[in-house]
Amino acid sequence: MRRSRTRRNLLIATAAAVVAAWAVLYVVVITTAPLSYDPASESAAKVNREFALLLAVPTALWVIAALLLVDRWWSRTGVRLAATDPPGRLLAVAVAALPSHRREWGVAMHAELAEIGGRSARWRFALSSTRAMLRMPPVGGWTVLALTAAVVVAVVAAAGPAAQAAAPGLGVFSVTFVALVGAMVVVAVARLRRPPGRVPAETVVVAGVVAAAVVMTVIFLLRDPAAARYLPAANAVFLAVVLAGCLWIAVAAPRSRGAGRVAPFIGIAAGVVWVGGQLLLMRAASVEPPVESPAQNLVDMVAAIWVMLGHAGVFFVPALVAGWIGRSFRSGLQAGIWAVVATLPLNYAVWLHEALGLYATHGGLLWFGDGAPEGENLSLVVSWGLRIIPLVGIPFAVIGAAIGPYAARPVVPGSPAGASARSPARR
Amino acid sequence: MNGLRRPSAQTTAMVRALAEEPTAWRYGSELCQRLDLTPGSLYPILIWLADRGLLETTWDTGAPSDRPPRHRYRLSGIGRALAAELAATPARRPQPKVRWQGA
Repeated sequence: MRRSRTRRNLLIATAAAVVAAWAVLYVVVITTAPLSYDPASESAAKVNREFALLLAVPTALWVIAALLLVDRWWSRTGVRLAATDPPGRLLAVAVAALPSHRREWGVAMHAELAEIGGRSARWRFALSSTRAMLRMPPVGGWTVLALTAAVVVAVVAAAGPAAQAAAPGLGVFSVTFVALVGAMVVVAVARLRRPPGRVPAETVVVAGVVAAAVVMTVIFLLRDPAAARYLPAANAVFLAVVLAGCLWIAVAAPRSRGAGRVAPFIGIAAGVVWVGGQLLLMRAASVEPPVESPAQNLVDMVAAIWVMLGHAGVFFVPALVAGWIGRSFRSGLQAGIWAVVATLPLNYAVWLHEALGLYATHGGLLWFGDGAPEGENLSLVVSWGLRIIPLVGIPFAVIGAAIGPYAARPVVPGSPAGASARSPARR
Repeated sequence: MNGLRRPSAQTTAMVRALAEEPTAWRYGSELCQRLDLTPGSLYPILIWLADRGLLETTWDTGAPSDRPPRHRYRLSGIGRALAAELAATPARRPQPKVRWQGA
């Protein structure tokens, strides 16, 4: 009874936090970048009201996604945590943060806590054990870690001026990206037991796509140095965080076995199909001189739908399919995450590539018409490709992952498949 | 000393305590009480010993169903050899604080 009340309160708090976050976003937008309107026919209050109604859609999607995630987390982990006291929870969190080859020791300390009686004694044991876990030495030793960190700091310090000298506007992006990748290397040295052997194919693919995105940024700024003003520091940092984040997930994501093994490939394939389709439609829609024909109108309409609504599908479909194949929410979520980390940098790189080509031949912006400087493509792809698309699309990955297992054929109890299968609601 | 640096006073005390009944498995909390060490000091020593093959570890699967399996420890063959070497040398005064001795 108490646990179900805790779960309900947790879900209410989650929904409230998501709504509050979107409300803050709304207030920030209407105060810092007021929406433009025609004073003759509209008022500020009216456009703000319409904007609020527009934001209600993604807000509702994020609330649903957050509730699904928290509910799954509660059924797997939260209910166990709720059954223990605060010292037990502290140790459980510390154990979860340990690298896999040291986790056995954390579990050992957690098990010993069960033998300790008395609140203050349990707190002392938990705090002291947590200290031991925090001080566990890296396998290579502190010296190797310190040397690695020193090399990373030196590379970061050199990257900024070198990049800025090569292409104006590249300095902030380079420093941030190299610093984040360097941090990834330091964490890897601290946590890995041995150098990784074979690098998984899905990691290679996403790393290649992230590299392509970085290269296209450099090419774009070299080809049009004036474009630097369309990559202000905030956007440069955001771009670096997104690209490094995609790389980080591709390197560090936990791997599934069995049916869930295909989830990353399903996600990547969905991203390739969506971006590839967009590329074809983009080229088909931008014929010069413009042609007025039913076929061309159809192509334009399909291109618009593909671009405007496709990002919901590119995350929803792989999550649904992988959840269905793997019969688990986890598989679906993995496919959705891999779709995100493959789609964002791929779409970004292709967008910049096509924008350069289109501007050279037609003098217009990609998707957003004529009469603007070429560099504006850079701010558009960051805003649309890296902000709007994930903001609207990611909840669909969670929703697809939740539906997928239920779409799978029911397992007959007693059958060979049923012997190993569990309820999708608990996986 | 098996190519190892001389262990700290607490590590030496731990090895000696484990060597008293070398075949007996010991629990972490039991060793904490016996050596008057906190887990924050005890477990780094156990990990240091285990990383060097001086300690055997196993999970006690005979725990009550409402309790998680506990980790148990005893000296390995080379751990016992180290204990014999330490027994042959005079004991040092315990230092006030245990520190990591490298991985």
